[in-house]
Amino acid sequence: MKKTVHIPLGSQHISLLEPIRFKFECENEKIVGVDADVGFVHRGVELACTRNFEFKQVGYVVARVCGLCAITHSLSYTLAAEKLLGYEANDRIKYLRMLMVELDRIHSHMLCLAHTAENAGFEALFMQIMGDRELIMDVQEAISGNRVQFDFIAIGGVNRDLTPELADLIRHNLTALSEKIDALMVLFEGNWSLSLKYKGVGVLSLEEAYIYNALGPLARATGLATDVRAETNDFPYEAIGYKMILESGGDIHARNFVRLREIVNSIDMCRNIADNLPAGEIQEKTKGKPKGEALVRVEAPRGELFYLVRGNGGNMLERVRIKTPTFSGIPAMMEVFKGSEYADAPAILASFDPCMSCTAK
Amino acid sequence: MMKIETTLSTLAEDINAFYDARQWHFLTVNGIDLGEGKIELQWIFSRYGAKDDIVIYNTQSDYETPVPSIVSLIPSAFMSEREIVDMFGLKIEGTERGLYLDKDSLEHPLRGES
Repeated sequence: MKKTVHIPLGSQHISLLEPIRFKFECENEKIVGVDADVGFVHRGVELACTRNFEFKQVGYVVARVCGLCAITHSLSYTLAAEKLLGYEANDRIKYLRMLMVELDRIHSHMLCLAHTAENAGFEALFMQIMGDRELIMDVQEAISGNRVQFDFIAIGGVNRDLTPELADLIRHNLTALSEKIDALMVLFEGNWSLSLKYKGVGVLSLEEAYIYNALGPLARATGLATDVRAETNDFPYEAIGYKMILESGGDIHARNFVRLREIVNSIDMCRNIADNLPAGEIQEKTKGKPKGEALVRVEAPRGELFYLVRGNGGNMLERVRIKTPTFSGIPAMMEVFKGSEYADAPAILASFDPCMSCTAK
Repeated sequence: MMKIETTLSTLAEDINAFYDARQWHFLTVNGIDLGEGKIELQWIFSRYGAKDDIVIYNTQSDYETPVPSIVSLIPSAFMSEREIVDMFGLKIEGTERGLYLDKDSLEHPLRGES
């Protein structure tokens, strides 16, 4: 009988950005069993949304669930609230919202790529990608006035307009970033050292992706064609050039390339928005108070973000249900670890791009 | 969106007949406190590749009646079931407290009485 050893990774670990604990059961260096503890930063946001804040304030509360995809949280809640109020935004508002969501996707994917490189032992690459990422952070700050918590989306519209000068800044920075992403793709595809750390490591099969309900880049890297941008009618994504990005390897390399190719697609979409922004108001009046139940799905950088909002016609909501992508992805992530080498665990974990702030909410 | 009424006694049978992992993405289990000790439970699915095609299995229960687990049908459901157990203090077979709260916590934050 082989001897098994239990090795924890986390809750505090050099490879983690946020607290999560995996308990690995290992035979020699191979992981044969895994358990996950994800609730270290639970803050009771769902409860706060129904007890402490009125429906007009909740969009700003849920943005605090996550520092990376704050814009998708506020967008999801706002869409749900607007459905309950019987309001649909005009095209200019929709385009501005899509612009911020896609910019957010670019910088979030770049953070993941940088972190995956760092956890595979490539510190300089980490620094380089994080430096390039500032091109997008600067654009987001110029548009919204904030660097992390944008507070850009509000019920009935957005809080700031896109001026011609800002559109020029977007075009300029996206062109600069585009060249850097092209160089990164060559590096990630052809570099022999990176291949040793990424290719064939941390594999999730297509069948496992279906069984464990994988989502986002984790699913698309296996070839599972799922993306909320193609599965809802809330935004005209086809009109701005959206393409679903699929890979088939299911390993870290495939997840890296889903993200790199999605960055390229998001750059194209942001350019199209800057060049073809429809005319219209950026804030419209809404009437009434939310009554009924609305479900909204938005494709966050890590996958499907789901909100269910129920109101009774008053200022306080009855229920705000938040289901985040990392929370849903944990079962698939646990499967990927099984059969992997313990030494690869940090890089595999980083390639999931886990967000524990979202997960524990 | 389509809502299908179910009961706790027929839930596993209903979902077994409905769920095909290659067609349907399991979203989550949701609970909504209705007051006076009643709770509404929802098992939510979306169809891959279809626009806004969502199916909800819906039922009502109380705090004490055990809720059947669907983990044998949908392995990834254990996360949502653990969350419901923590937040509403419900009993789901094979599911322990301790996802967000302490394992011996007596709290159930999303109950209306809390």
